[in-house]
Amino acid sequence: MNARLLTCDVLVVGAGPAGLAAAAAARESGADVICIDLFARAGGQYTMQPAASDSPFHAAPQVRQGREAIAHCQALGVRMLLETEIFWAEPGFVIFAHQKGEAITVRAKTVVAATGGMERPIPFEGWTLPGVISAGAAQRLVKANGTRPGQNIVLAGTGPFLFAVADTFAKAEISLRAYVERQKPGIGTIDLFISHPSRLGEALGLLRSLRATGAHRYTGHGIIAALGKERVEAVRIAPLGQNGLPDKSRAFTIDNVDCLCVGHGFQPVIDFTSLLKAAHRHDDALGGWYCVTDARTQATDVAGLFAAGETAGIGGFRPARLSGRLAGLHAAQAAGRPLPHFGIDKLHRDMIQARAFAARLARLFPFPAHIADALPDHELVCRCEDVSRAQIKAAIADGASDVFSVKMWTRAGMGPCQGRVCGSGLAHLVASALGKPAAEAGYNRPHMPLRPVPLAAAEAALALADLPHGVET
Amino acid sequence: MSESLPKAADVVVVGGGVVGAAVARQTAKDGLKTVLLEAKAFGGAVSGASLACLGTHMHNIEELPILLEACALWQSLSEELGDSFEYNRSGQLRFILKPEDVAIAERWIAGERAAGLAPELLSPKEAQEVEPLLTGPIHAATWAPDSATVNPFLAVRALLADGKRAGVMAFAETPVERLLLDGDRITGVRTSRGDISAGHIVLAAGPWSARVARSIGLTVPIVARQAQCLASVRLPPSIRRVIGACESAGGVESGYTQIQQAASGQILFNTVMAPQQTPAGAEDRINEVPRRFVRDSIAMLTTLFPSLANILMLRSWVRFEGVTPDDRFMAGRLQDGLLIAAGDNGTGFTRALFLAQLISRAARAATDARDGFYNPLRFAGGKP
Repeated sequence: MNARLLTCDVLVVGAGPAGLAAAAAARESGADVICIDLFARAGGQYTMQPAASDSPFHAAPQVRQGREAIAHCQALGVRMLLETEIFWAEPGFVIFAHQKGEAITVRAKTVVAATGGMERPIPFEGWTLPGVISAGAAQRLVKANGTRPGQNIVLAGTGPFLFAVADTFAKAEISLRAYVERQKPGIGTIDLFISHPSRLGEALGLLRSLRATGAHRYTGHGIIAALGKERVEAVRIAPLGQNGLPDKSRAFTIDNVDCLCVGHGFQPVIDFTSLLKAAHRHDDALGGWYCVTDARTQATDVAGLFAAGETAGIGGFRPARLSGRLAGLHAAQAAGRPLPHFGIDKLHRDMIQARAFAARLARLFPFPAHIADALPDHELVCRCEDVSRAQIKAAIADGASDVFSVKMWTRAGMGPCQGRVCGSGLAHLVASALGKPAAEAGYNRPHMPLRPVPLAAAEAALALADLPHGVET
Repeated sequence: MSESLPKAADVVVVGGGVVGAAVARQTAKDGLKTVLLEAKAFGGAVSGASLACLGTHMHNIEELPILLEACALWQSLSEELGDSFEYNRSGQLRFILKPEDVAIAERWIAGERAAGLAPELLSPKEAQEVEPLLTGPIHAATWAPDSATVNPFLAVRALLADGKRAGVMAFAETPVERLLLDGDRITGVRTSRGDISAGHIVLAAGPWSARVARSIGLTVPIVARQAQCLASVRLPPSIRRVIGACESAGGVESGYTQIQQAASGQILFNTVMAPQQTPAGAEDRINEVPRRFVRDSIAMLTTLFPSLANILMLRSWVRFEGVTPDDRFMAGRLQDGLLIAAGDNGTGFTRALFLAQLISRAARAATDARDGFYNPLRFAGGKP
């Protein structure tokens, strides 16, 4: 087993917009910076980099922004560790990871958690059928890999991200059968752009892209079920009734579908900050549980640990980039590097404004957790461990009082995804059965390892932490 | 949970782990109006973290008649409740790494054979016949065919469900703040959700039992000891038995190992090579496994089972056992109106059903000749 022990001033976890901004800012302050990411290419989701050199996406503005941010980090001498999975972190900070079979341990003076967001799936009838994929996965297939996810595609769910995915389809010249959005554009949308006129151009561009996909647009509609035997063949939808659930008396079926892309929003990835015991709070408008930070410095309540971007609450690209820069500068300062005399105030002001726009936008597309209430008893909630809604109900009837006890008695959330896929739906189902808020029903608290890790890599990485300080291998 | 607490009961059991759930079920079956109070989630503390091995091997020669009965109770419970908690009579293999430990193993075997049990000393080759993937460099092994395992989560769930059928009123997320006293007699408990008066209070709160007792100035010599475990992802059947270390004198702190494969396919493994400190109050915090423990556990697993060297680790957990000065349960009457069944020393599952009967007897003023073995007043010269 190869093993490397590395040291740095600032370790940035995540190489999306927030992480790249943090890494560059810390390096500009003179700090020695390492930036780690799970994926083979830096960029994250919004500024994702295509694999193929002839991809039609290279000219897209998001891809260009990502390319420039990555090039800037490289020119500054940020050490990038890609395809690197962190499985444990200790305060102080020692971070344990592995990269393609090699163990890597990093000692850092300060850490910026820019771990990004992940989709916030809600279970519905037929959601585990092959051909039903998340909107984020669809975007990654098309944009990063140049793979078409289907021939007859329906894009459904809620939120501005659906526009971004439609835009990706349009740029790849993939047509869409239908676009199904729970919300109807209304006075709130107009108000938002009156307050933030600079964002109107982008929104209109996305709308043009959606038109270009040829999708039939159903606003104010929700998914009832994905239908099919071996895989998805049709999608049943209906206009929403007063209770926010699809009105089944007005339901209809979109036939001949081979791919349903579903997105209902994002949640912060907080496994890393939770492991380091930073404070977290719950706010639906920020994607659920998020890491609490100081808005100016992006410091968490753990000395030396900063959080930026979606980790500190879902807000999208602009807050991510701005908060990343603030976090990078202050993490470098906490590691003994000087803070620039100018520019912090403006960064802070811009970040507050960008967050305000994101928060208002989020309120236009509330997270519809209650969709899960319509889940049939036989349908799976946890797909790693094949746990149905009926089994979850039975556990609650036997006295399970929170997500943790349901997990013990049903194995829901105990599989290799460690609750990432079922967590939000499970929390809602348990909370609504017990008459508690979802936040109180608890979440899947992370422990070592954050992700499955080969025993040999874990042993080798942990062994490195016993070496004396000042050593790099 | 929205249902309100009853105002009075015959028995209030404090602690909803395997011992508390078993006690509540037993007292209810024996006709007593029983309330079970759990501070957090049923079976969520050390019971849920347990590897739940039921057995007689290398526990205590003097205790063997009780252990035999305790293990038999589990087997009949599994039959009675329709195999609802993965009772698996897997047998137990204790590996011996050093020649000098053979003598210790032989002493245990002789004592257990004298009590009518059938443990054996195996050569490495014989051990491999019992456990084919155990190809590591062991010197010998003991084999106890009567050991079994249960799924710890489902066992607590089954005891709780069966107890409710017998009339147990069970409440999760209901911590007991203090005991209520009338003169020298314990008359009830104060919880976060109101008072309950009761003829008998049973402390079955593991390492938290001492704190509840302290609310009336009573000292119970039970301390918390950290226990932890690692788990792999699900794997095809690889390990058939419970694998343990043949301990030298000194018990857990001289080198403890337990490895087994759960019915889910996950391999559960833990090795403690060096004494660990359990800081005061650690049982009330969220804890991470010690780095040294992870390394030792991986090293032991892959030394004994070299073919498992490349498996994926998925999970780890830390919980707290309640430990008495002599590593033996305290079970019985502490004071008027106050009973205790705590001090599991990490082996609560084996004894839970036997202790449930003992406590129910005590609550009904019945006696059994064997009850003195766990006399809770043994540390205080017989006085509360």
